[in-house]
Amino acid sequence: MSNQEKNKEDYLRQYINPERIEKAPEGFTSNIMTRIQVETELVKGRDKLRTRSIVPVISVTIIFLLIIAAFILPSGGNDTALLPGTKYFQNINLPVIKINLESLFSHDLPAWSPYLFIGILILTILDKALYGLFHRKEE
Amino acid sequence: MEYKGDILYIEQVLAGKSNAFSYIVNRHKDKAFNLALRICGNHEEAEEIAQDSFLKAYRSLKDFKRKSSFATWLYRIVYNTAISSVRIKKKGLLSLEDFPADATDFIGSNSSEEDAETEYRNSLVSFALQKINEEERGLISLYYYDEMSTEEISAVTGISKSNIKVKLFRARQKMLEIIERVEKKKLAYHE
Repeated sequence: MSNQEKNKEDYLRQYINPERIEKAPEGFTSNIMTRIQVETELVKGRDKLRTRSIVPVISVTIIFLLIIAAFILPSGGNDTALLPGTKYFQNINLPVIKINLESLFSHDLPAWSPYLFIGILILTILDKALYGLFHRKEE
Repeated sequence: MEYKGDILYIEQVLAGKSNAFSYIVNRHKDKAFNLALRICGNHEEAEEIAQDSFLKAYRSLKDFKRKSSFATWLYRIVYNTAISSVRIKKKGLLSLEDFPADATDFIGSNSSEEDAETEYRNSLVSFALQKINEEERGLISLYYYDEMSTEEISAVTGISKSNIKVKLFRARQKMLEIIERVEKKKLAYHE
């Protein structure tokens, strides 16, 4: 630092008093803590809602998969069109553990089963809608 | 009031005891408020900036890597929040005419001439601070009021040490020019 610069710095220091510090306004800490509390409650509420919503989402997905399976999967028979993986491993003669997957799908589903699944789906959605309607205040 | 280390309270907050944050706020609120005040020059705005900075610090407390002290980390948040807030609300610069020429204007009913002179000097510096840009205000505040080294200022602002020296030199020069002009005006007033 040159002498000239040092003089300028000293000159400015004559005007500046580092001990002069203003107090933060009254209620400063409590205002921040209130804002933090509100924010924490909001986050908690959001997390709760997310946990609650995941249950109907999973059940709806499972029901959809079951409905699709009911329509697509062959009733009985030995058609393995939907199990290409099994067929592939059989062809290349790899020593894989043989699981009789076909038997899992060989049961005949009764003709009314799709209606049952659709019914369950409607009831689940209705349940979710009613829950949202009557528990809104709580959230 | 004796304070335990910041780290202890930070750990408590991270463990879910959000009330422990009030100790951290109490410890740093005055310095944070003053830094914001010197950068923005307005009490209400400074309070808002300081509060927002503490909230930002609370939200990102888990990201505090402890490479620097908590105070440095918090100061960085206050500095950046204040600079961006001032840039958004960019106000017109004050004119030299806005500053009263005579120190006697600062004499209250019960204050001595010496008190008035001190008050005059403080106001003159605050006035000169508002005439330079927000980044320079921040640097002057950290260097002169918080008595930080250029290394510490670099940790707060993210500006390199050599750049800080250059910017401080310019800011100092600008402030001295303003102070000298006001002092000349004061002399002319007395003649």
